[in-house]
Amino acid sequence: MAEKSHWSNKKDDYELLDVIGSGATAVVQEAYCKPRNEKCAIKRINLDKCNTTVEDILKEIQLMSQCHHENVVTYYTSFTVKEELWVVMQLCAGGSLLDIIKHRIRTMENWKNGVLDEVTIATILKEVLKALDYFHNNGQIHRDIKAGNILLGADGSIRIADFGVSAWLATGKDLVRDQVRHTFVGTPCWMAPEVMEQVTGYDFKADIWSFGITAIELATGAAPYHNFPAMKVLMLTLQNDPPTLDTGAEEKDQYKHYSKVFRKMITECLRKEPEKRPTAKQLLKHEFFKKSKDKQYLMKTLLSSGAPVKPQKVKRVPGSSGRLTKREDGEWQWSDEEYEEEEASAKYRVMESLKEEEKPKLDQLTDPSQEHHPPCFYFSSEGSDSETDTRPQTQHGNVTTKSEPANTDPAATSSQGGSQSSSGEPVVKHLVLRLRNDKSELNDIKFEFTEGQVAANLQKILDSNEHKCLVFGLNSGLGHNEVADDKNLRGFAQLSIVDITSDGGNKS
Amino acid sequence: MPLFGGKHKTPQELVRTLRESLIYLSQCRDRDDKKAQKASEEVSKTLNTMKNMLYGTADQDPQTEITAQLAQEMYNHDMILLLVTHLDRIDFEGKKDVAQIFNNLLRRQFGTRFPTVDHISTKKQILVILVRGYEYPEIAMICGMMLRECCRHEELVRMILEFDEFYNFFAYVEVSTFDIASDAFSTFKELLTRHKILCAEFLEQNYDKVFTHYQKLLNSDNYVTRRQALKLLGELLLDRHNFTTMTRYISSADNLKLMMNLLKDKSRNIQFEAFHVFKVFVANPNKPRPILEILLRNQEKLVHFLSKFHNDRSEDEQFNDEKAYLIKQIKELKPLDEQH
Repeated sequence: MAEKSHWSNKKDDYELLDVIGSGATAVVQEAYCKPRNEKCAIKRINLDKCNTTVEDILKEIQLMSQCHHENVVTYYTSFTVKEELWVVMQLCAGGSLLDIIKHRIRTMENWKNGVLDEVTIATILKEVLKALDYFHNNGQIHRDIKAGNILLGADGSIRIADFGVSAWLATGKDLVRDQVRHTFVGTPCWMAPEVMEQVTGYDFKADIWSFGITAIELATGAAPYHNFPAMKVLMLTLQNDPPTLDTGAEEKDQYKHYSKVFRKMITECLRKEPEKRPTAKQLLKHEFFKKSKDKQYLMKTLLSSGAPVKPQKVKRVPGSSGRLTKREDGEWQWSDEEYEEEEASAKYRVMESLKEEEKPKLDQLTDPSQEHHPPCFYFSSEGSDSETDTRPQTQHGNVTTKSEPANTDPAATSSQGGSQSSSGEPVVKHLVLRLRNDKSELNDIKFEFTEGQVAANLQKILDSNEHKCLVFGLNSGLGHNEVADDKNLRGFAQLSIVDITSDGGNKS
Repeated sequence: MPLFGGKHKTPQELVRTLRESLIYLSQCRDRDDKKAQKASEEVSKTLNTMKNMLYGTADQDPQTEITAQLAQEMYNHDMILLLVTHLDRIDFEGKKDVAQIFNNLLRRQFGTRFPTVDHISTKKQILVILVRGYEYPEIAMICGMMLRECCRHEELVRMILEFDEFYNFFAYVEVSTFDIASDAFSTFKELLTRHKILCAEFLEQNYDKVFTHYQKLLNSDNYVTRRQALKLLGELLLDRHNFTTMTRYISSADNLKLMMNLLKDKSRNIQFEAFHVFKVFVANPNKPRPILEILLRNQEKLVHFLSKFHNDRSEDEQFNDEKAYLIKQIKELKPLDEQH
């Protein structure tokens, strides 16, 4: 880097190219940095539209900038362009491992017997472990390890991306104290049981669980339970024995050529008791990783397989909706009779039943057609400690809707293609519910909603194209000295529709 | 692989090694020569060992006696000053370890005493160097981490507020690199809000100097600077500790004009933050004549403007109450000649 100039903070020094990923208020584009004659990825965040405070965004960038590791996407610089923040990062031209898996599923004949071979998997995962070991040594948990967040460089290098949900165990605090977090973040299929339960809090070992799930994903093409709705995934993860390679198999012996040592490694990672899982450092010494090869090998097997990897649209099989409740005896119970339930609400119930403490409550969706104002979420104070809530109920339904002007948001154009399915298959919408937990940290809960399914009410919101983002008041969730503030989501939560065409790219 | 060849170095040995390597590193001309590289490796390795000694590792909890010895050695050999002085010479991971070590030492407490705070109080260069660290991109964030730890201690904040260098923050928060500017802003905010009474005194005594500088932030071309500065201004003025400062601020016609312009900024966030400063001018029961004149001159326009202002925030009761109150207040303003 010494002979090259620093990364520029001037907009005009960059030429924006293809969109490689997009979210509700941010878009990631490939870009060319003219003074350096080098390509990079730029994440553009509209600061006036997103509800995240500058402080929260800064935390994510600080986190990224404090990571120098060959297996972590490198942060270069960040600067503001009017109301946008541009975060300049390393470009991983090969896309995400999820993109690669999806591409293989479309082009390989015998993918049902395994999408990637064991040597490739060992090579990829060994690199992932090195990054995890680095994170964990830094007192940091990634919290969203999955194929979609593992990126491939043009040289066959493997890098972890997406710090959006990762958090310091201790931000400049004592590494010994504050060792355990209590937040609900991640993607359900990859989520460790203790993260779902939220009883004991969790630590580094939650990443090891997600790592085990990712191993299954790389082999079979999907995480176990991928064809169930988020609710059911939580229930299955909590109730069943840990998943294995064969959990999602449709035929006996479908995955028979995967070795014992691979299966053993997965089993060790997927122990329900976090303390029984190995650390990243211990895993690096695992016999399975003796099979691993080098970058050149990945370049040969993953990059030279024909079509250039472009982000692929992620489609997941929709499932039924329902409700998960904890019975008095402590057992989890799944009930399907609540078929009318909308998934967001069902998901929220789980959080509530998982954590007994008072939480902001999202109870049901009202029918917007019966109201004169914009689509509403209705908050019932039933069943919660309503003593403290003196606000009249009718006040809670009001929702601020914001539409994103198309001219500043390339995401909007790219998403239009993605939201329509020509083959007549149900369209899966990706949604993010963003709210603060009891420590005032922002959490994103990602879930999916299938158009045309069960939730007639949410459907109405989705039908009106302008409303990509809803902010709504919560009955509780404010600290004693806090003032409700919809911009910072204090006493408010935000539901956004993310027309993701891919989970991958240089999202971070 | 054992880090220290089987035998653990004592705190005394570690500090000596660190000191010697660091001094060599700071004096050598060619940082790429072999000896310099070796010294650099030695520095990083030693810092890592020290960090593990203070924080403990997966297999070993920190030992009180050893950590006490290490802290004492650090004070005796002026290691904190040496480390921050030559921070730029230390490699990436080593810099992070310096911050961890510094922050751990600063948290050491015996009864009501913080020995590291006492140590730093006698060497104010340490704080000056940390503040000026924002001028060097490769150490800016690390210095920020250490400064914010210092902000927990009133004594240290008092010292920093007395420096001329404090006013450098007004430039640091506007640098083009977002992470450095925002980091500087969060330190700046800590300095001005953490210790309420001290901060209130400081603002009163240095009102003119501080707010002359502050005005530039509110007029900045940088969206983030403008938004952050406005938000902090609102927080400062509405903190009851800063009553005197608030009264003075809302007596100035120029300040009112600026807020009225910001109410019309094209960014909704800035409009909203400006509202929270503007409301204080209107709510003031003893509005000075120049303020009244402006409000009266714009009476109708303001009522009209406010009645349409952010009407989609229908769920924000406090905002709506405040807005209704402001409209009422402005409507009921009496012409000057009717007043006493």
